[in-house]
Amino acid sequence: MQDRVDPRVEIGVALMVIVIAAIALFETRDIPPGSFEPLGSAPVPQATAGLIILMALGLIVRACLDRRPVARPPREGLADAGAVLLLTLLYVTAMHYRLTTFAVMTTIYLVLTIGTLIRFRPRSMPLVLALAAVVGFGSQYVFTRVFVVDLPGL
Amino acid sequence: MEAVLSGLMGGLGLVFAPMAFFFVVLGTVLGIVVGAIPGLTGAMLIALTLPLTYYMVPTDAVVLLIGMYVGSITGGLITATLLRMPGTPSNVMTTFDGYPMARAGRPGRALGLGIAASFAGGIISWIFLLLLAKPLSIWATRFGPFEYFTLILMAMVLIASVSQGNLVKGLVAGLLGMLISMPGVDPSAGQPRLTFDWYMLNGGLKLLPVLIGVFAVSQIISDVLDLGRKIERVESQRAGLLLPLRDWIRHGANMLRSGLIGTLVGILPGVGASIGSVIAYTTTKNLSKTPDEFGKGSEAGIVASETANNATVGGALIPLIAMGIPGSVIDAILIGALMIHSITPGPALFITNGDVVYAMIAACLVANFVMLAVMVASTGWVAKLAYVPRTYLLPVIIVFCVIGSFGLDNVMFDVWVMLIFGVIGFALERARYPLGPFVIGFVLAPLMEAKLRTGLMMTGGTITPMFTRPIALAFLVVAIVLLVWPLVGEWRRRRAAAAA
Repeated sequence: MQDRVDPRVEIGVALMVIVIAAIALFETRDIPPGSFEPLGSAPVPQATAGLIILMALGLIVRACLDRRPVARPPREGLADAGAVLLLTLLYVTAMHYRLTTFAVMTTIYLVLTIGTLIRFRPRSMPLVLALAAVVGFGSQYVFTRVFVVDLPGL
Repeated sequence: MEAVLSGLMGGLGLVFAPMAFFFVVLGTVLGIVVGAIPGLTGAMLIALTLPLTYYMVPTDAVVLLIGMYVGSITGGLITATLLRMPGTPSNVMTTFDGYPMARAGRPGRALGLGIAASFAGGIISWIFLLLLAKPLSIWATRFGPFEYFTLILMAMVLIASVSQGNLVKGLVAGLLGMLISMPGVDPSAGQPRLTFDWYMLNGGLKLLPVLIGVFAVSQIISDVLDLGRKIERVESQRAGLLLPLRDWIRHGANMLRSGLIGTLVGILPGVGASIGSVIAYTTTKNLSKTPDEFGKGSEAGIVASETANNATVGGALIPLIAMGIPGSVIDAILIGALMIHSITPGPALFITNGDVVYAMIAACLVANFVMLAVMVASTGWVAKLAYVPRTYLLPVIIVFCVIGSFGLDNVMFDVWVMLIFGVIGFALERARYPLGPFVIGFVLAPLMEAKLRTGLMMTGGTITPMFTRPIALAFLVVAIVLLVWPLVGEWRRRRAAAAA
């Protein structure tokens, strides 16, 4: 018998899906009916969102009633994943506000992220610094000069 | 047939142009490398490469992506055999026999069988691609809006019903993908919807940031969670990598059967390589005189799994080229690539962009030969890539995700979209919602809605043709059967369990 997903995860994700669908459903309330075609712009998103909400509610009910053993996900990587997400969020925010150049932001981001994952092991840090600088400044050079692509940042 | 062969010659001419040939080789090698690194997938590679293809001519772009597609499916067999870690999900069945054989001191033989089977699968499905794509596209020109609508409906139900996890989660994922594709100015009526009066949403959510988020960022988050996993390792060996002719003959029937299964599964919209290899492996085991050997290093098991997963590549390209319906997640990304170059996949593709179609078909053939040569020549080196520390690799990939999303229109909005969909994709995967239906729903929903509304305009608002036109009715019936069948099966299982 297959393990089931942790009910907290199951219900949490179903609620997330319901919230997305409910917001979409709410947003369609003011769309006028079609003037030159029978369906109009609202019914398809409304029907889609409605079906999603119904099915996600069904999944919540099933998660509450299911008695199979729960597959507990390993917890050891959670802190690392959280840290990577947080640092990525800060990296993207820094780029949004163009705090400095892409190369500098990327170098700092890579040093902090890789450093966090390897617990800032002193022996490995010179390699991390070199890799971060090569990727940061190298990608800025390659993308802006060779591929002629704009990059975020100053 | 004459037109097909002359088209193929033209396609081969395009692929053997120096630049295009370089891109086929580059794509295949990159695909093999990425396929061989556990945690990185072909879908991730292709999604991240899409932004770079804006600056290429369409032929170069598609041959590069086709090379990556073929390479990534094959590269995964290296880690599946040597590390018991499938490089891509489609190589899971290979671990069952490849790893035990490698542990028993025959890693070269296990890899050689996998490489030969991958090549055979690729060639078998390529023959079907060449022979079926054009007739199917001619047949598909008879489709009216209701046929298209019901075909996509059937495809969506099929994708949801055969994806990992349960049917309802597959349907929710598919519908969510459809809903996410709807913000923006409605192309049928010119009416803004789901934009929250925010100008950034007038153009809708673009495919590329959503794809990179769902396939790359969510995968990176999962990989970070998995960083502590210990890897058991068997060293690669050159002996046995090149399969002698007698082994090709001995495994010929298995290759042919598994190749056919893989091709057929590939043709079914959205089903993909994993299911193809599972069905071929199970069928071969059931037909075998020595089923007990399966799971302990059976040669037939490796051949069945690897032939079928590679055969899905050519099979999945058939509905993409003929009808504009993606046969797999990677095909959904390929549709995005074609659309970037203003090429609309569908029955008219042979007429409007015949050169690109035949270049795709020719690239599929050439990529299989390149794959065979690269795998035989460099499996030992590629195997070492699996030990590239992921702690260094994953943050670097995030940087490329940012560049790829930003490069689309040079707006940070797309980077935020990528990040948000990375988190949403990760959450969905944690709760075992399949991501395939999500992406395919996102790609197909605009076409599905447009066909429905065009049909309703033609009929003055009635859906009767869905039940009176034979092809539309057939698709609808199949969709209903696919929807009801798993529920009936589940009900019967529960009743049997209760009775026991």
